Amino acid sequence: MNAFYERHKEEIERILAKYPPEHKRSAMLPLLYLAQRDEGYITREAMAQIAEILDVSVTEVDGVVGFYTLLHDKPGGKYRIQVCTDLPCALRGAEQFLHQLEEALGIKAGETTPDGLITLEEVMCIAACDKAPVFQVQTGEGLTYYENMDLEKTLALIAEWRKKHTKTPEGNSS
Amino acid sequence: MSQQVTLTIDGKQVTVPAGWTVVDAARVANVHIPVFCYHPKLEPVGMCRMCLVEVGLPERDRATGEIVRNEDGSPKIRFFPKLQTACTTYVQEGMVIRTTTEQVARARKDILEFLLTSHPLDCPICDKGGECPLQNLTMAYGPGTSRFPYEYKLHLEKRVPLGDLIILDRERCIICGRCVRFQAEIAEDPVLSLDGRGRATYIITTSDPPFDSYWSGNTTDICPVGALTTTDFRFDARPWEMHQAASLCNLCPVGCNIMFDIRREPELGGRFAVQRVMPRQNEYVNEIWICDKGRFAAYHFAQYGERLTQPLVRENGKLRPASWREALERVAQAFREAGSGLVTLASGRLSNEDLFNLARLTDHLGGRKVLDTFLAGGEWTDKVGLGRESDLAALGEGDAILVMASDLEEEAPIFWLRVKEAAQRGATLVVANPRPTKIERHAKHVLRYVYGEEGKVWEALLAGASEAAQALARAENLVIFYGQEGLDLATSDAVARAAARLLLTTGHAGKPNSGLVAVWPRNNDQGAWDMGFRPVADLADTLRQVKALYVVAADPAGDDPHLAAALEGADFLVVQDLFLTETAQRADVVLPAQAYIERGGTYTNALRRVQRFFPAVPPPEGPQPDFAIVAALARLLDLNLEGRSTAKGFEALAAQVPAYQGLTYKDLARVEEQFPLVSREVLDYTGTAYPNGQGLGVVLPNAVERGETVAPPEAPEFPVRAFQGLLAVPITRLYDRGTLVAWSDTLAPRLPEEAWVWVAPETARDLGLQDDATARLEIGDLAYTVRVRVNPAVPGGVVLVPRSVGVVLFTPVAVHLKAVVPAS
Amino acid sequence: MFKELGALVKGLSVTFKSMFEPKVTFQYPEQKRPVKPRYRGRHVLRRYENGLERCIGCSLCAAACPADAIFVEAAENTDEERYSPGERYAAVYEINYLRCIFCGYCEDACPTQAIVLTDQYELSFTDRWDAIYTKERLLEPVPPGARPTPQKTEPGKFVNPIPEMPDFPEWKP
Repeated sequence: MNAFYERHKEEIERILAKYPPEHKRSAMLPLLYLAQRDEGYITREAMAQIAEILDVSVTEVDGVVGFYTLLHDKPGGKYRIQVCTDLPCALRGAEQFLHQLEEALGIKAGETTPDGLITLEEVMCIAACDKAPVFQVQTGEGLTYYENMDLEKTLALIAEWRKKHTKTPEGNSS
Repeated sequence: MSQQVTLTIDGKQVTVPAGWTVVDAARVANVHIPVFCYHPKLEPVGMCRMCLVEVGLPERDRATGEIVRNEDGSPKIRFFPKLQTACTTYVQEGMVIRTTTEQVARARKDILEFLLTSHPLDCPICDKGGECPLQNLTMAYGPGTSRFPYEYKLHLEKRVPLGDLIILDRERCIICGRCVRFQAEIAEDPVLSLDGRGRATYIITTSDPPFDSYWSGNTTDICPVGALTTTDFRFDARPWEMHQAASLCNLCPVGCNIMFDIRREPELGGRFAVQRVMPRQNEYVNEIWICDKGRFAAYHFAQYGERLTQPLVRENGKLRPASWREALERVAQAFREAGSGLVTLASGRLSNEDLFNLARLTDHLGGRKVLDTFLAGGEWTDKVGLGRESDLAALGEGDAILVMASDLEEEAPIFWLRVKEAAQRGATLVVANPRPTKIERHAKHVLRYVYGEEGKVWEALLAGASEAAQALARAENLVIFYGQEGLDLATSDAVARAAARLLLTTGHAGKPNSGLVAVWPRNNDQGAWDMGFRPVADLADTLRQVKALYVVAADPAGDDPHLAAALEGADFLVVQDLFLTETAQRADVVLPAQAYIERGGTYTNALRRVQRFFPAVPPPEGPQPDFAIVAALARLLDLNLEGRSTAKGFEALAAQVPAYQGLTYKDLARVEEQFPLVSREVLDYTGTAYPNGQGLGVVLPNAVERGETVAPPEAPEFPVRAFQGLLAVPITRLYDRGTLVAWSDTLAPRLPEEAWVWVAPETARDLGLQDDATARLEIGDLAYTVRVRVNPAVPGGVVLVPRSVGVVLFTPVAVHLKAVVPAS
Repeated sequence: MFKELGALVKGLSVTFKSMFEPKVTFQYPEQKRPVKPRYRGRHVLRRYENGLERCIGCSLCAAACPADAIFVEAAENTDEERYSPGERYAAVYEINYLRCIFCGYCEDACPTQAIVLTDQYELSFTDRWDAIYTKERLLEPVPPGARPTPQKTEPGKFVNPIPEMPDFPEWKP
């Protein structure tokens, strides 16, 4: 069929088997996770290939990727810090927190630090308004929540990650 | 009849079918519930929250289930504590809706204030300004001021081309998703999507090519703001400056009802000119949609084409301008001498009135009436066509539709839509085609056959053995469409006979919603058949022998070099056309005709619905309407024909042609209330499509309904082709290089630039051809340079040749296709 | 006889008296009479200081015109060929002075204050076509130091059709 299918043939077949054939587009999210695992983000080619497997248009796949904050269509750093700035969080100072963080890291939301370690993102509700400022960190290993954060705590956290990545030999990280 | 429900909206009682939404019921009750995302033709989503209303239901006693009553005996109504979206609330018996309360007014005001937080408010330069739902609803229900600071407005891209025809303005978009849903639900080309979340949501297309759909123009009609605009109309005129003329699209046999918007055009010296084409509602034909070909090419040829302006006569081997009198006298003289040696070659582009006059004149002289077409079967569509009161919208559960040899969306896009909708309502769809087409997605049975073996399909269907055949025979109503896929005159005639036999033997013929539909190549081919024009098997041979040839709205020399050669044999050639065509260049006399936008008349569409079109713009000086030219000519030949008005002409026609018996323009002007109620006053509900105040037309009675005895024809003999090697098969594509569409600058980027053919991957491999390779196609004594497009959907062993894209092919023949080695 | 002479003297006295009164006639066209501050004469289409046209081709003046004297045909700006700020400009702008009644509604309707009535009243024509003023005749001259339209402009600079930009010349309503 195509390169993506050939690469993950067994897994894709296992995913597709979970859904009725006439609704195979339901397999889109699992396939997108599969594609994201390959490169850390979903390439245009992968989207086109998933569209082909699921018999949908590539624009529809693109729309789904665009909707979910955990799916990415651009490469990012090893750690993606996703700060919620929706209204309740903003009232608890999330916007201000984001600006401080931007300044401290020297990047704008949506950008990656030059060392490729951190990508800062502004996202919609992550369901922890009461503990704002709050962010989630997405890495190749999974998702971690950090609640009631301030700049100091965050910078300490980042310093820790940086140390971890300079210490460990290349290839073992993340 | 479905179950009816009675509810009260703002004190008005209204009874509507169960399953309707409150918005639709309110529209019928003439109570305005404003909407942005809701559209009566689309599934409700409740995204915009503009339609919030108070909803109340009769309270029921929990213990007994009885309706609780007030002291005066009326049911006690309990209102939902919060406002409900009327577009996702379905009507219920006894429901009470309130839209005029303080709470509702407040909600509307707040929603509009939110929508306007990032709207640029550039109404003065916005093409929607003046017919904009957001503008209208803000004036009616919105706040005068905003509490949001101006600096908070988002500034987004103002010009994002979504393909060649549609331009998106991200700033104006209010994310109602109507365009996205239209493309997914109605057009079934889901090439638009919403990207992102919250305030950062945008319309995107990342398909390649972008926004590749024949329906894209409709998204601009239903867009409730000026976010989507067409390249055709962008910044052309303001809506209030234009006046309207009702017309029909003349580019395919559907006969979509359209409205021309007209204003003076500096480019054309200040003449009145069509600025844009808009759909006009006719739920029997095109609903409120039109395809992009009609929208972007229906008038350009008449307005921007190099038109003939005066009669020409040949003198010393050269055409020179002449007066009408001189030209007509010369023609009359030649026709008188030719007598029964006259052949009139006309095409289905002419109106019924033109064709009737032409037929009378030809008969008067004893000449022969020839139709310029490659698709036969018109006498069978007259005998067992869709009958009176037919309505494709009535087809559903228990009915069956057979689509034979037709790529419906390419040949007549609206028929694709109507058949698809019938299938979605539960009609059994059987598709017989040698290759997969878009309509097959909805087919219950797909009958695949080899090009040239149409006979085998019919053998099986008439024998009634297969499951598909039984489904067709059993159906309550049966409609058979046959089209242009690989058919020529002989085969299409056999297909029509076989289909007529099936309809007659299964007892479907004569039922109102059953019958035969030919997807004709031209808009009024059905009318031409009705007026007595018939195709001839060997046109070249016929042309070679004529004494006088009268070619009207046809261009045989331009269509086929063999016919051009055959024209040499004609003693006297008269051409009546809009343009100086290849044939006209060879003529002895050329008569300039008016385009259909400059005059009135009627067309009979493939569903045999007679519809009227009206003059839209003043005619240029010189050209005359076809029926008037023929009448003037007839007067010189001692025949009195109607040449003054089309209404009189239609009366004369109705007196003589059986199917049209007794019809008048008054009958064609009949209108009725059609759902959804379209109005230019309530633009938010259905968009900017025009309501139909000019007439829905009339479906002609078929021969069975007229009381004639129609015996089932014998099972026809299909022509058998003995050939070896590669078979070239003509197919039809919507975007071709035909003479009419070629004048549209708007559509130009979507039209093929060069001749191309489709071949299967295995055929390409066998011939040593790559995708996109240049090849030499040899058909008989002619050779063409074509671009090869490898398409896995094409069966092996054939070359599919699109009609009117540079290669002359009217019948499947054996050909050679060779790679061209580029000269380095 | 004296009685008659008296009548002559009486009549001439009026003549002599009026010879020393201030003149009320103007030797037009050598002398021109100043007009009132709110006089409504022929229109001009104004420009911004940088030479861009204020008119965005919205056609609202034509809509407001009770005499149907104005015709506007719009077209699309590009950064390569920019006539006015924003996307739209007037490709054709014509006022027919045989129709115009100088009511000034166009001025009221204009969202960019592009069309204004001036104090020029010398409108006479020997040909009906001359009475139709085209955009070229209506536009103000290009301000000193500015480029004529169309201009090649920096992408993204003139997206707003109603920008905050200095006028030329300083306009006092």
